[in-house]
Amino acid sequence: MTCTLGEVKNRADFIVYWGGNPAECHPRHFTKYTLMQKSRFLPRGRKDRTMVLVDIRETKSVKAADVFLQVRPGKDFELITILRAMIKDQPISDAQLAETGLTREQLQDFVTRMKAAKFGVFFFGMGLSMTRGKHMNSAALLTLAAELNAFTKFVAMPMRGHGNVTGADVIMRWQTGYPFGISFNRGYPRYNPGEFSTVDVLVRGDTDCNFIIGADPGATMPKPAIEHLASVPTIVLDPHVTHTSKLARVHITTAPAGISAPGTAYRMDEIPMPLRPALESPYPSDEEVVRRIKETILKKPDWMGERPQMLTSQVG
Amino acid sequence: MDLKVIDNATCTFCGCVCDDIQLHADENRIHQAKKACVLGKAWFLNHTAERKYPDALIDGHEATLDEAIEAAADHLYKADMPLVYGMSNTTCEAQRECVEMADHLGGLLDSHTSL
Ligand code: SF4
Repeated sequence: MTCTLGEVKNRADFIVYWGGNPAECHPRHFTKYTLMQKSRFLPRGRKDRTMVLVDIRETKSVKAADVFLQVRPGKDFELITILRAMIKDQPISDAQLAETGLTREQLQDFVTRMKAAKFGVFFFGMGLSMTRGKHMNSAALLTLAAELNAFTKFVAMPMRGHGNVTGADVIMRWQTGYPFGISFNRGYPRYNPGEFSTVDVLVRGDTDCNFIIGADPGATMPKPAIEHLASVPTIVLDPHVTHTSKLARVHITTAPAGISAPGTAYRMDEIPMPLRPALESPYPSDEEVVRRIKETILKKPDWMGERPQMLTSQVG
Repeated sequence: MDLKVIDNATCTFCGCVCDDIQLHADENRIHQAKKACVLGKAWFLNHTAERKYPDALIDGHEATLDEAIEAAADHLYKADMPLVYGMSNTTCEAQRECVEMADHLGGLLDSHTSL
């Protein structure tokens, strides 16, 4: 249950940011999409909208909020579950409330506001989806949004981070049916995060070659994963010589997307945007280099032999 | 010095993907990124068209693009369980090529999302 940022801009009168700091991580989110814009349905712009921020600590985003709810760290799931009960007027004990670090008045006020909204939206960040509970937290918030639709229109959208991660999800879904954590080793795509997700695979040392593009795991992953990157052949495509490049057997410099390489990137609400590069690069684009590596591999005999279900939907 | 003006350029630094940026650029670098936020400005202004790095590195030594493509294809082909990972700071067109390559390799395919 989600929508585009265009709908938010035109219609959302109640905006909740949960576990994120848009003021510093998505600086134009407020001004372009959520808070400041005036529209036919919200002619007074900011004055017609209410913003609630739920986070474990005070960030710069608090200044932009009408209400700030400081939840106790690791208690997001409990808080969401309590809210789900409260919107249905079910009893909540004081002990349950105390766990969240918030008062009954604060939560009752939040529930009343959510129900009174014409169009509400939850934007949830990594403070929700990457802390204790992880995807169970996101799932609980999506359920809360769905249940609020018994009273009013409510949607939820993840605040996706840097670059074109959203595009990666969309492209993998389109080609394989799954968004990430995919294995082709039986000749058809299988999906199992935890088993096939990179950090787990690298920490276990399962791979014997790594192809890294548009990412720098050598700077961000846990130490055993980085050690594994260095212990088997790793190939890096990047506009810069990165931490990972330094561990790699092969590094290829490519043109930065959107600055000197053309193409498409997806916005967090899954709207594709064409890029308009301003500079000519002396380096080839990622697209060209990956295609050439792929074509070189294709010239070699296919070791897998007869394949049960190759992806055939590749166009162009 | 002639400045080229590009209207409605797209910033891919964060998930907002603002597509209303006005860039002023010469041959070598972007001088202004109007409407972009601090993060976006830094992103646009920090890149140049200069040849700052070698085309490619193999085992830490400079190499040509063709050599590096051969070497990369060799490593990937020889592997029993290759991994294709990342795909954040790149285009959908490149991502599509990555998916096809992982499929042919019979390998693993994953993005940042799984972290
Ligand atoms: S200009 Fe700022 S808010 Fe817009 S995409 Fe770039 S970094 Fe994000």
